[in-house]
Amino acid sequence: MSTQVHANLTEEQVREISGNLDEPDWLLETRLEALEALETIDMPDVIRTPGRDWTNLHELDFETLVDPLNWAEEKDQVGPDDVEVLPWGEAVAEHEELLKEHFGSIVDPQENYLTALSTALFSTGTVIYVPEGVDAEDVTIRTEMNSRSLFNYTLVVTEESSSVTILERQSTGSDAVDGEKYYSAIVEVIAGENSSVQYGSLQNLSEDSYSFSCKRGDADTYATIDWIEGNIGTQLTKSEVSTELNGDGSETQIVGAFFGHDEQHFDLDVKVWHRAEHTTADLVTRGVTDDTARSVYEGVQDVGRDAWDTSSYQRENTLMLSDESEADASPKLIINNHDTEASHSATVGQIDQEDLLYMTSRGVSPRLARNMLVEGFFVPVMEEIAVDEFREDLEELIQQRLRG
Amino acid sequence: MTGTPHTLHDRGNRKMARLQLNNLHAEVAEEGGEQILRGVDLEVESGEIHALMGPNGSGKSTTAKIIAGHPAYEVTEGEVLLHLEEGDFGEDFDIPEDKRTWDILDLEPNERAALGIFLAFQYPAEIEGVTMTNFLRTALNAKLEERDELFEDEEGEDDAAEEEDEGFETSPMEGPADDGEVGVAEFQEILQEKMEQLDMDAKFAQRYLNAGFSGGEKKQNEVLQAAILEPSIAVLDEIDSGLDIDRLQDVANGINALRDVQGTGVLQITHYQRILDYVEPDHVHVMLDGEIAKSGGPELAEQLEDKGYDWVREEVYETA
Repeated sequence: MSTQVHANLTEEQVREISGNLDEPDWLLETRLEALEALETIDMPDVIRTPGRDWTNLHELDFETLVDPLNWAEEKDQVGPDDVEVLPWGEAVAEHEELLKEHFGSIVDPQENYLTALSTALFSTGTVIYVPEGVDAEDVTIRTEMNSRSLFNYTLVVTEESSSVTILERQSTGSDAVDGEKYYSAIVEVIAGENSSVQYGSLQNLSEDSYSFSCKRGDADTYATIDWIEGNIGTQLTKSEVSTELNGDGSETQIVGAFFGHDEQHFDLDVKVWHRAEHTTADLVTRGVTDDTARSVYEGVQDVGRDAWDTSSYQRENTLMLSDESEADASPKLIINNHDTEASHSATVGQIDQEDLLYMTSRGVSPRLARNMLVEGFFVPVMEEIAVDEFREDLEELIQQRLRG
Repeated sequence: MTGTPHTLHDRGNRKMARLQLNNLHAEVAEEGGEQILRGVDLEVESGEIHALMGPNGSGKSTTAKIIAGHPAYEVTEGEVLLHLEEGDFGEDFDIPEDKRTWDILDLEPNERAALGIFLAFQYPAEIEGVTMTNFLRTALNAKLEERDELFEDEEGEDDAAEEEDEGFETSPMEGPADDGEVGVAEFQEILQEKMEQLDMDAKFAQRYLNAGFSGGEKKQNEVLQAAILEPSIAVLDEIDSGLDIDRLQDVANGINALRDVQGTGVLQITHYQRILDYVEPDHVHVMLDGEIAKSGGPELAEQLEDKGYDWVREEVYETA
C-alpha cells in the first residue's frame, strides 16, 4: 500500500537543502532516492489490536505540516575538547569519509515513509566523534524548535575503548510559529569495540507538535549502548529506540519514562536484536497516562540463531490515572537460540484505592497522595538512570505535570 | 529552618477528645450490599484503652474502617461524633466552641486524621518508591495544615483563603514550603527518637513504606506512625496479629506510650488475650452480629479467653 505523496515536495527543495550544506553528490543522491521512495513505501508499523490501529499516522496532514525550507531552531551542541561535536554542515566538510561509512548504515533511509521523509529533508544535525581511548562526559545537544517542521539527524561514532555520555533535549521555543508542528529525528549510534555510549533524550515539545523519532545503535564486541528515553511533550509521538547487539559480549540497556495527559498519544517501540554470543539486554519502561491520554508500547527482544548465552530482560508498567485514559502494552520475546535466559512482562493498572486510603488516613490529601504514588511509581526507572542531570530534569518535568 | 516549637504544639500535650459511635448501622457499599453493623454504641475517651473483641465477621474491622472513612462501606443510620476540648491541639491552638463537636462521617479521611483520628490497618499497604521519612514528614505537615484549614476557613480571614489556594502546591520533593512546616532536620530528630523508643532499626527510615516489610515490621511501623502523628483517638485493627513475642512487647510498649505520654485514647481490636497482658484495657467490649453485646472491665477479656464467645451470645439471648 502506498502512502500519500506530497504535491508540494520537490526535488528542487531537496537540492537546495543539500546545496546549502555543501553536501557531496552521494549524499544528495541518497536524499533524492529517499524522496522518490515516498511514492512507494508505507508508514512504520503501529500496534494493532482487534478492530483498531492505535496510532493513525495516515491521518497526519503532512501537506500542511512539512515546510522544509523554512526551518528555524535554537541549538546548542557542546562537549569537552577531546571529543568532536560538530553541526552537520561542519561534519560534512571535515569528516566526509566517516559519514560515507556510517550514514544510513543502521537506519535504512527507505525503511519506511517517515525515515525517508526525514532523510530527504533534514537540514540540521549533529555528529559526535569520540576517538580511541577517550572518555567523555557532558556532551549536550539542545534543540529548540521554532518552525512548522524540523528535520534533525544525529550520528554518534565511538572508536575502540572510548566512552561518551550524551544528553539531548528537545523543546519548542517561545517564539515558535503557532499551530501544529512536526519534529522528525533519526539517531544512529555506532559503538566500536569495547566502547560505551550513554544516550539520554528528553522530549518536551509543545503539545501542538507531532514527533517521529528513530534511534538505533550498533554495538560491536564488548560495546555497551545505554539509552534513556523520556517523553513528556507533543500531541503525538511515534518513537523507536533500539539496539543491534552485533558484537560478542555487547550489552544494552533501554530505560524509558513517559507521562501523558490531556489528549496526548505516545506510540513507543523498544527493540533489541541479539545477534552475537554472550550479549545482554535490559529494557525497562514506566509510564503514566492521565485525562484522555493514550499510550501504546511494543517491546521486542529478538534472539537470533547464533546468539548463544543470551541474557535478555524486559519489563513495562503503565499507570492510568483516569478512567478515560488508555494504555496498551505488548512485550514480545522471539527466541531462536535455546541458550537464553530471558524474561518479559508488562502491566497496565490504576492507582490502588487501598493504597490511597492508607495514605489519606494519615492526613495526606488525596491529591498529594496521588502525586506521591506517581512519583514513587517512577522510582524504579529513576534508579536506573545513572546521569544525575537527566534524572533531575525528568523528575522536575514529572512534578510540573503533577502540579498541573 | 526555624523549627519554632509552635509547629509541634501538640507534642507532649495531653489529649482530651472523645469519640462517640451512636446507633451506627452500615452495609457494604454496593447494590444490595450486606448489612454488617446493626446499631453500634461505643465511646472512647482520650487516655483510655478499650479492647474490642468478637468472633470473625462480627463487624470489628468494619467499625474501624468506617471510623477512618473507608469508601467500601455505607453508613445507613447513626453517627460518629468526635468531641474536642479547648487545648486538645495544644495551648496556643484555639478551638472555638462551635467547632468542638464534629460528625466525622461528613469528613474526608485526611480531614478525620487532621482532627486526631488514626487507624492502624490490619493489612498496611506497601507503597513502592515512597520512603518512610518522606511519607511521614509529608503526612505530619499535611495534617497540621489541614487542621488549620478546618478551623480557619469559615472565619473569613484573608490569609486563610490564600493558604488554601497554595495547599496542593507543596511537593514532597521540595523543601519546606512555608514557615509552619516541620523541616527535614527537625523531622529526622523526631523520627529517630520515636524509632528508638519502639526498638526499630534506623535503616527503616530510608526504606520504602512497608515495601518488603515482614508482617511484624509492618505492625511496628503502624505504631511508629501513630507515635509521630500523635492522634487523639487511635483505632488499632489487630495490631497484635503476626507478631512474635519480642515484637509484641515492643508494640505493646508503643501503645502504652501513646496513652501515657500523649494521652491518646486507644480502641484496640483483637482476637487474643495475649496482647492485653501487656496493654491492660480499661474497658472490654464484645461484638456479636454487628452490635456491642457486652461491655465490662479487663476481667471480661479473661472470661472470653477461658470460655469463648458462646456464653455471651447465650446471655444476650436470655436477656432479650
